[in-house]
Amino acid sequence: MALLDVKNVRKIYTARFGGNQVEALRDVNFSVEPREYVAIMGESGSGKTTLLNILAALDKPSSGKVFLKGRDLSQVKERELAAFRRQNLGFVFQDFNLLDTFSLKDNIFLPLVLSGRKYDEMEKRLLPIAKVLGIEELLEKYPYEVSGGQKQRAAVARALITKPQLILADEPTGALDSKAADELMKHFTKINEDGQTILMVTHSVKAASNADRILFIKDGEVFHQLYRGNLSNEQMYQKIADTLTVLTTGGVKGE
Amino acid sequence: MNRSIYTRLAVTNLKNNRKTYVPYILTAVLTVMMYYIIDALSRNESVKVDSVKLVLSYAASVVVVFSVIFLFYTNSFLIKRRKKEVGMYNILGMGKTHIAKMLFVETIVTAFVSISAGIAGGILFSKLMWLVLLKILHYDVNMDFKISGVSIVRTLILFGVIFGLTLLYNLWQIKLANPAALLRGGNEGEKEPKTKWILAAAGVLLVGYGYYVALTTESPLKAIQLFFVAVVCVILGTYALFAAGSIALLKILKKKKSFYYKSRNFTAVSGMIYRMKQNAVGLSNICILSTMVLVMISTTICMYMGMGDILETRYPREFEVTAYNPDAGQEKRIRNIIEEEVRRAGVSEKERIEYHYGGVAAVRTEDSFKIAVDEDVYSGNENIYELKMIPLADYNALEKQNISLDEGKILLYNPDADAEKMGNTVKIEGDCYHVAKELPAFSLEKKNSSRVVGGYYIIMKDEEQIQKYLNLAYERLKEENPQLDEMKVQYRVCFDLKGARKDRMKTAEAIKKRISDEIPESYSDGREIEQEEFYAVYGGLFFIGLYLGFMFLMATVLIIYYKQISEGYDDRERYQIMQKVGMSKKEVRQSIRSQVLMVFFLPLLAAVVHIAVAFKVITKLLAVLNMVNVSLFFVCTVVTAAVFAVFYAAVFGVTAREYYRIVG
Repeated sequence: MALLDVKNVRKIYTARFGGNQVEALRDVNFSVEPREYVAIMGESGSGKTTLLNILAALDKPSSGKVFLKGRDLSQVKERELAAFRRQNLGFVFQDFNLLDTFSLKDNIFLPLVLSGRKYDEMEKRLLPIAKVLGIEELLEKYPYEVSGGQKQRAAVARALITKPQLILADEPTGALDSKAADELMKHFTKINEDGQTILMVTHSVKAASNADRILFIKDGEVFHQLYRGNLSNEQMYQKIADTLTVLTTGGVKGE
Repeated sequence: MNRSIYTRLAVTNLKNNRKTYVPYILTAVLTVMMYYIIDALSRNESVKVDSVKLVLSYAASVVVVFSVIFLFYTNSFLIKRRKKEVGMYNILGMGKTHIAKMLFVETIVTAFVSISAGIAGGILFSKLMWLVLLKILHYDVNMDFKISGVSIVRTLILFGVIFGLTLLYNLWQIKLANPAALLRGGNEGEKEPKTKWILAAAGVLLVGYGYYVALTTESPLKAIQLFFVAVVCVILGTYALFAAGSIALLKILKKKKSFYYKSRNFTAVSGMIYRMKQNAVGLSNICILSTMVLVMISTTICMYMGMGDILETRYPREFEVTAYNPDAGQEKRIRNIIEEEVRRAGVSEKERIEYHYGGVAAVRTEDSFKIAVDEDVYSGNENIYELKMIPLADYNALEKQNISLDEGKILLYNPDADAEKMGNTVKIEGDCYHVAKELPAFSLEKKNSSRVVGGYYIIMKDEEQIQKYLNLAYERLKEENPQLDEMKVQYRVCFDLKGARKDRMKTAEAIKKRISDEIPESYSDGREIEQEEFYAVYGGLFFIGLYLGFMFLMATVLIIYYKQISEGYDDRERYQIMQKVGMSKKEVRQSIRSQVLMVFFLPLLAAVVHIAVAFKVITKLLAVLNMVNVSLFFVCTVVTAAVFAVFYAAVFGVTAREYYRIVG
């Protein structure tokens, strides 16, 4: 069974006093298998963010359904929603979203603390994750004391520590220089190889070329898909770039 | 043309920032109003009593100082919030001179609205305040009230200058900053504050010492001397504790893992550590201000309401006459004057008491008394007693007894209800006396525990014996006070009057006048006469206490409101991140509530603790002013604190809601 199932999702924004309607997502269908690493690409305004918000249960679709491990997100009760997100989803954001008043360690602990876990358990979970991400030495530091790449790795650790079903990453390399971005992508690949399912929204061809599968969104629809197969990262890069060119110069739907 | 652009911009800006500007303008209007009213009252020519005038003009100057600080403070909040907006104008191509012009027009608009509305409101309400003041003072003057032109001009000048200064401050802020910094506004990353252990320890010690003094000082005279020291200690200690102690405490909590890593405490503790760094001074200001307001209001209310008690303590009978150097003829004349005047006014006299006495101050060591010199009195010696020596004949007459005393024997009476009994022998200046009896009661003074200075009534065989000690005291004291008159056994008559209040008042005045005209070296006064003066002084203080108290309350509450609102803007991002990471709306609301609750009630709580500790020493100080009704003071304090808390709670509710709206 698919881990994530998106079926006929449609989202319409209505201006406050009736009137204009904007269709952000028209009819989105796709699914993500366990242990898969999927990237979603598309231009600004293509509906990526809307889609991600819906997947994160931060927003509700106008019609259609999203299933996470078979559970309909729209059926999760309002007051359980925060806990549901905490337990099943991990988030990585473009601008890190670390809290300045917490050390990196406390930032990583935040979701566990909100779930009411014991300190010993949190420590036990933290060590292996920090090792994988190479931030063991930085745990007592504050966000303003470390580099952007280090911040983003701490944010990834925060997403991983709850052992989520799915990691949702929104432009994770968007605020990083190319070296830090490459490094982060290596970590993503490593995490994925360890069995973590990842769904990443990105602009960056380089970042997307790390994924197993790439979905292209245009005008609120999944316009095209690319599978890695046995291709290397470089070959993937080339394929993605070609696809994007077709996409922006106005290609025809389907493969 | 150009001008109108700035005006339009300024008005638009004010409209867009109405959430912060409306409270600001309201505050300014109220402040202007309060200044105008108090200034107009202090200038009103119908207020004839100098003490009232003095108190009012003193209060007016407090209002001036306060207005400056307060308006400046709130303004600095506003401009801090608006830095981003101003930075945006700058980046979009407005030069700093243009921004200055825009700010200038804004200030003009704000000032015009505030001052004109304030003066209008002031004129409207000053009539009401005038009536309230008359009522409190028990004045029966004809309504003579007009708009005070002088006050209007003074208000215009004062607030014109204040608004001018705030404009200068704002321009200075804009001038200092570059556009990028302006855009970022107040959000610069801050390091976690370090714990200042020494300062924290100093805070504990200072507050501890202040509390110790307040709790252990028994003698009111000592209290007067030490009170100031204790107050200063507690004020300094409060600042130190809020600044360092709070952070130290929070850090200790943070170290305690089982406490810190709980969802309830996690964000609150870490957030508060930063908060306290920025807010320590503000919170301790609020704490001290609240303490002062609470003390001021509760004592003035208590004094005003307890005026009857005060007068009764001061004057056990309605009227009393004292002759300092009496002889039989003079005493007879005094009695005649009283009787004549009482008859003429058609009132009657009752419960007359007359006796002779000699009074000296003495230092007591165990069972012996030594006449006190100036040094003993000024050093606040706690063993000083007032010895009232009364001849046996007068005692027998007062108490309708027929006791006789042998040579070397005395009767003793201590009005202090809590005092231990004396031994069988008492030494006075080396002379040994045998105490024939320590009296359980005496009609001149009931047993009580509210005396400022301890006292003993000593019944001696005759007047010669008393005179001997008076002479001794005179010799001793003359060295330091060469102008001192000889000390003699004095004669005192006290009595109550019965009849209509107006008649009693007239009688008292007539007697007082004749005694001072006809009897040399004498003094007389009565409750009724004194009452008017009392109403003027205590009523004036009461009015000012309420007036300034209300103003301070408004200020504290508004300052906290502004603080929280601007913190809400700072916190917005934090809470949004936490929601993304999985904090539910309910948890956000709880966290906000507990944070706002702490900021609101921590200062009030500290103030209440301060007052609770100071309660005892304040009652001692009130006793010096003849206010001995402790339970009345207790009620006044509790009610004042409760009213305060209600006010706080109301604003707390509004603030928490507003804060949530900003963050959510």
